Order: sequence, then structure tokens, then C-alpha cells
Amino acid sequence: MKILVVLRMIPDSAGELELTSDGRGIDREWLDFQLNDFDDHALEEAILLKEASGATVVAVAIGEGSNRVLQMAVARGADEAIALEAEGDGMIDSRAIAGSIVALARSKAADLLLCGVQSTEDLFGQLVPYAGALLGWPHVSGSSRVGIEASALRVTQERGGGIAATYEIALPAVIGVQTASKAPRYVSGSKLREASKTAIGKAPSEPAGFERSAEIVALRLPGQRGSGENLGDNPENVADRLASILAAKGFAGV
Amino acid sequence: MSETPILWIVTLAAAALTLWRSRRYIAALAQAPGASRFDQPWRRLEGVAIAVGLHRKMLRKPLSGILHALIFVSFFVLFTVTIEAFGSRLFPGFSLTPIGGDSWIALLQDLFAVLMLLGLGLAVYQRYALKPARFRGSSGSDAAIIYVLILLIVSSLLIEAGARIVGGADGSWRPVGSLVADLLRALDLAAHPTERIAYWIHIGAILAFLVYIPGSKHRHMFLAAPNIYFRNLEPAGTAPAVPSERENPGVTSLGQFDWKQQLDLLSCTECGRCQAVCPAYASGLPLSPKMLITDMRDALANDASGPLVGGIIAEETLWACTTCRACMEACPVEIEHLPKIIDMRRHLVDEGHVSPMLQDALTNLTRLGNSMGKPSKMRARWTKELGFPVKDARSEPVDVLWFVGDYASYDPRVQDVTRKVAELFTAAGVDFGILFDAERNSGNDVRRAGEEGLFETLAQSNIDAIRECSFNRIVTTDPHSLNALKNDYRHFGAEFEVLHYTALLAELIAAGKLDITAAGGALVTYHDPCYLGRYNGGFDAPRDLIKAAGYTLHDMPRCRENSFCCGAGGGRIWQGDDGVKERPSENRIREALSLGVDMFVVACPKDKVMYTAATDALGVAGQLKVVDVAELISLREAPAAETDDRVEGCAING
Repeated sequence: MKILVVLRMIPDSAGELELTSDGRGIDREWLDFQLNDFDDHALEEAILLKEASGATVVAVAIGEGSNRVLQMAVARGADEAIALEAEGDGMIDSRAIAGSIVALARSKAADLLLCGVQSTEDLFGQLVPYAGALLGWPHVSGSSRVGIEASALRVTQERGGGIAATYEIALPAVIGVQTASKAPRYVSGSKLREASKTAIGKAPSEPAGFERSAEIVALRLPGQRGSGENLGDNPENVADRLASILAAKGFAGV
Repeated sequence: MSETPILWIVTLAAAALTLWRSRRYIAALAQAPGASRFDQPWRRLEGVAIAVGLHRKMLRKPLSGILHALIFVSFFVLFTVTIEAFGSRLFPGFSLTPIGGDSWIALLQDLFAVLMLLGLGLAVYQRYALKPARFRGSSGSDAAIIYVLILLIVSSLLIEAGARIVGGADGSWRPVGSLVADLLRALDLAAHPTERIAYWIHIGAILAFLVYIPGSKHRHMFLAAPNIYFRNLEPAGTAPAVPSERENPGVTSLGQFDWKQQLDLLSCTECGRCQAVCPAYASGLPLSPKMLITDMRDALANDASGPLVGGIIAEETLWACTTCRACMEACPVEIEHLPKIIDMRRHLVDEGHVSPMLQDALTNLTRLGNSMGKPSKMRARWTKELGFPVKDARSEPVDVLWFVGDYASYDPRVQDVTRKVAELFTAAGVDFGILFDAERNSGNDVRRAGEEGLFETLAQSNIDAIRECSFNRIVTTDPHSLNALKNDYRHFGAEFEVLHYTALLAELIAAGKLDITAAGGALVTYHDPCYLGRYNGGFDAPRDLIKAAGYTLHDMPRCRENSFCCGAGGGRIWQGDDGVKERPSENRIREALSLGVDMFVVACPKDKVMYTAATDALGVAGQLKVVDVAELISLREAPAAETDDRVEGCAING
């Protein structure tokens, strides 16, 4: 079995986001980028499947810092690492990258495509259905466990209210991973240093063939919310102040 | 049958049995990887002379030290009895009489037999009446067997001497022997048979002792001195590098430890001084440095199967260590606990066996160069609130390159102190600069958490950044960075002159460059940070600063080399508190509270964080203020008036 796993680099949320001058994008020049957390879980699930059934794992990364993350993927057990050329340095748009991912899945003869269920730049989890539709493969999103039995996958999907549904899906398939069966493993610095010698392949960007349909006209930063008030550590003062705040807000009579 | 062949047979049999009982140790040491511990013979011998000859560390516990010294010196004097007992029968005609065996040597033997019994009595009193907690986990039966054997050896030699006097020998040089002779006469015991029985009891007890030793902590009679001789002469702050011949960074079996690490295991006396000072043990975590050593020793002795890491030594035991080095400081026979713990942690890290919290911290360090997960660009954010710009050492030459460190840069509880240090440097006219976003975590605790690969990455990145700068000296805020830059970076050929900010401030005050308003002599106590004091000998500069600032220092009972760790070192700050009954920091705050001082002075950013949290948790923040030594210093005429206000405000809030 061959697994293709998608690793997207997203802006580090601990950084300070600033908009570009046209107000239609995030200024990426001063940002740090990190691996999308769900993709980290997808990678872990791919490695776990490899360990359980001897699959081959091809990791494909998109965005700034791809090489570093691909080395990490190799250190964790990926067999092949490919950096996908991105068009421009803007947001990673699932509609735009789906074509490239699908082309790679075909050229690598993958049986299973694993992606994180969403990313900060694809909150509605569109990459999995796009790729599934383009490939004509079945797809399931929101997995919390992926196992392989005979030649079929068993995929557990989290539903609301603590309910989990388990699907049996024929390969080839596309899965949007929410959490891996086990938390992503730690890969030591010495293994990373070893993996830094690995050759990283390149893949060109391929058009998805979708008609242009919509574009962003404006982005807005989160509004500044009111700041908190430190009530100090003197119990009496704290009690008085709290009582007056509650009274002022109309929660309690004085 | 004559006694000579019988004695030859039993002696040779005992020697053979002893060797047979030692076979596993001999084989283990012979097969162990090499360690270069043969340099500087004079310095090594000097250490042995101080440790063994003067009992320096032993005497830190006066009762134990004195009783051990009594037994130790008596052993050497009474060894003349052993020489005579074996020599006279193995080689008929041999005698010490020509050199005074019947005169002054006899007198010494007599007196030291009594001193030996006195030492033995004190040992029994200590072990069975005082019952120090440090003996918890030590083998009680081992000690008891040794006490009985010593008692047999000494009493038999006195009875033998007494019986000889009854038989007509001269008793004038043997006052104690003469008393025993009187007793024998009173008991109406025949001289010759009594002498022979006592002789053979003596011989039997000595040979039993010999045969017993390989399986007993009393191996230290033979191994303590060599173990001290082969001690580590590298700076205390340099963690051992991974040997180049090792395939993986860590150690998975006892046989991978070099011969000195294995000799350590065999030299342990189970005295428990390490256990008594261990912050992990005190906090209820499953680590006793003594048991760590004896568990591995027993595995070595029994050729135990099963894994070393996670088997003989539990993972939780390894992660409990704060690498404070108190155990190694206390050990009278120079056992090196930390290299073993670090080597075993290296294996766990390499296998990815780390707790989720530690994994987060290490992942952040890999990605961003700091454990908090903050962007590098925010590292120098603290400078924004200063009233003056800070030089970028990457773009202009400076005299002092200030390596600020993660906590001092990012933690809001420490940033005020960092700004105060910057203000003091500026007031003293120091030409300093920082690395801004090129600085990374120094890797000190990363390395001690067993993450050697990440340590190398961080160290190399810092060294590259530092080498791009033009400067004369490096100053660090964090003692942990001080240690890494000064000691660990030597592995990469980087030898910088590095000093702690307390040393630089003390130097500036001594040179009259800081004009200070002295406070009114209020009582304060000071906590020695492990990596400043025990690791790098920085005991006096912070004390000088406290004095210069006009405060009176009242040291805690555990101070200087015996300082008690805050619990944050060696990566513990990135671990949870699971299983902790009393946090080391709270234990320490209680110690300070008993002194009746108002301020708890620290000289490490992590200490500010740890002890502020501890005083909050204990609800004593109003009673005992945790202040950095820099915050104590108030300038007479600060360059800007608001500087002083902020400092005072900070002291009130802190």
C-alpha cells in the first residue's frame, strides 16, 4: 500500500498578524510558519499504518518551511519527501492545490490520500472532498482512528454527542484526519539531524481545472476586546471591588 | 598437623572464593568502553589525599565522619595484627618484634582496638538509635554482618593478646591486653587453648570478611580510593558528550557505560548522603540517587536480564531529576549520578518517550528556539519599555554581549528584572548589546533532558550568531545559559569569556561605577541557584551585591554548595507535578520563612518564577517577597527619574 500525506504550512498563530496593504491578505513577510496541526496527525496516522501493515509513505509539503517539516516527516518514518511548488506566497487555497495533490497521488500510484481535516486556511475542510471528487475515490472526513483490515480501511469518524461511527471503505480512498490513533510522536534532534541529509524531491504546481468562482475582497483582523482588570490580592478590597462591579453591571443590588 | 599448611589452604581457598565472587564485576569492568581518566596524576592523588586522608566530605556529617575516621585509622593500625597473624604462621619465623611488634606497635594495637570498638559502638548507635532517614533503602543486614565480623576480629585479637599474657608474655606494652588477661584469669581459662581458639576465630573472621566483601557495600574499602582517583576533572558544568563510537545517543544496557561509570556502581557505600540532599526524593518523586546506583549495581551483580531503561530504572525515576548536582556534591566517593541519568534520558528521547508537556517544550524549542512557543521576533520585546535603545550586537561592536535567555526575555514575571539589569548596565556606562531574534535557548536544560541532537542545533545556532559579533565578554542573566555557554559550548571549540550579571554588577560596584543608595540593613536571605553556585562557583558576587545594596544577609541552613534546588532544572520546568507531595520550591520557602526575613533574594530568572509561584501557593506572598538581587540595588541619581519609581513599584508588587 502506498500512502500520500499532505503537510500544509500555516502562519504561526502566536505571531502578530498584519494585513497586506490592499487589505485582502495576511502580510506573510514577518511571520513564522508551522505545520498545520491536523496534518501532523495525518502524518502520524500514515506512519502508524506503515508500522502496522508495511505501507510506503510519501510526504508532500506546501508552503514556507516545507523542507524543515519534510525532514521531520522522514525522521518520523516517511519514505519519500516532496516539496510542492506553490503559486505565489499567499494563503494555501484547497481549491487551488487540489489539482497538484491529485496529480501527485496518480503519479505516485497512491492507494490512500491522508490530509488534515482542516487548516486555519481551510476551516471548512474542502481539500478532502475536492481531492476525492477529482480522483473519483470515496472520502471520509473527521477520522479519529484509521485501521486496515484485509484490503479495506476501517475509519472511525467522530460525530456530535460523543457518538463515533465506523466505516469500512474500499481502497483507494481519501481520509481527512482529525486525530491520529495515537498522539504524534516526538522525534529527537539527533534523528532530525540525520534526516537533514535526505534528498527532497520537487513537484510542480498543476491546475485543478476549476473555473474561477470567487475571490476575497476584504480581510479583517479580530477586533480589540476589552482588557481585564486585576483586582489585587487583598481579600477585602477584592470583595468590595467585585461587589461594586457586579452592582454597576446590574447583576446584584447594593 | 602443623598450622602452616592448614592456614595456607584456608587462605588460598578464601582468596580463590573471593575472586570467584568478584568475577562478574571483573568481567564487566574489563569489557566496558574506555574512559580517559588517567591524566593529571598529581591532581588526582591530591584529591584522594583530601577525600580519604582528611575525610573532608565525610566530616560534613560530624558523627558519621568521626566514627568512620576511628574505624578507618584503627583498620590501618590493626592491619599490623593481621600481618603478624598470617605472617607468623604462613612463613614460620616471621615476626614484627624486631621493629617493635612487642613494644610500641603492641601499644598502638591495644589502643586502636579500643578506638575501633568505640567507632563500632558509635556506628551501631547511629544506625539503630538515631536511624537517619538517609539509610532508608540501604541494606540493614549487610551493615549488621559487618559489625559482627569487626566485633569478632577485634575481640578475638584482644583475647589472644590477653591469653598470651596469662601464658607468661610481657604485658607492659599492652594495657588493654593486661586487663583482658586479668579477666581470663578470673574466669580461670587455660592460656594456651584460649590463645589458639582466639587466633583461629581471628583468622576465620578476617577470611570471612574477605570472602564476604565482593557482595557487600564494603567493597568500598578497596574501590573508594580508586573511584576518587579516577573522578571527573572536567568542569562540573560540562555534560559528557556522546562518545563517537556509540551508535545511538543514549544507553540501553549497563554494559554501554564506560568503566568509570560502572566502577561508580561498585563503589557505593549506601551512606545515603545523596538521598538526603535530593530535591526529587524530598518531594516524594520515585528517585533516590542512592537507589538509582544500588539498583544498577544489583543488576550488574546478578547479571539481570530485562531492559535497563524502563526496567531496572523506571522512566519516572529518570525524569524526576532536576540535575541540581547536590548528590554528586555530597558523595564522599565521587560517584557520578548525572552522566548516567542523562545517558539514559538520551535513550528515552531518542525513542520519543517523552511526556506531552516535555514534547511541547522540545517541539517549540526545535521550531522557534524557545520553550514557550513565542515567535523569535518577540524575544527583544522587553526592550520597548526601556527609556533608551539597546544596541544590536550583530550590527555594531560592543564591549559586553548580553545573552539574555528565554525566561528573562519572554516571561512577564521576569521582564521587569531584565529591564532593571539593563538600566544598571547603562547607569554604569557599560557598552552592551544583545542578539535580538538571533538568540536561541542556550540548550543547557535541553541537553540535560537528554536531547543531545537538539542541544547541538541550538548551540551551533548561538555560536554562529555570537561569532558574527564583535565583543570582549559575554554576560548572561540566566545561570543555566551561563553554564552552557561557558562549559558545554567547549565541545564545539567555542571558548568565550562568560560571566553572570551578578559578577559584572559586583565588578562595576567594586570599580565605583555604580552610585548606590544603601538600604537600612534590612534582613534578607539568598538562594544560591544550582547552575550559578554548585556548578560554577558563583557564591560571592550575589552576596557582595546584597551587602553593597545595604541589606543584611541571613543565609539559610542549606546554602552555597549545599543549596536546595528550586525544582526547575534539567528540564523539570517543562514537566508536570504528578506524584509531587511537596514542591521543592515550597520546601525551600518554608526554610526561608523559619528565618524571619522579609525578602527572599534570587539571582536566576527561573527562581523568580518558581519562588513567586511558591509564595503564592503557600499564601505567604505578603510575608516574604521574592526579589532579584538586581531589584535590591537602587541608584542614587538614576539617569531618568521614573526609573527608580518603577523599580520601587516593582518591589512592592513582587
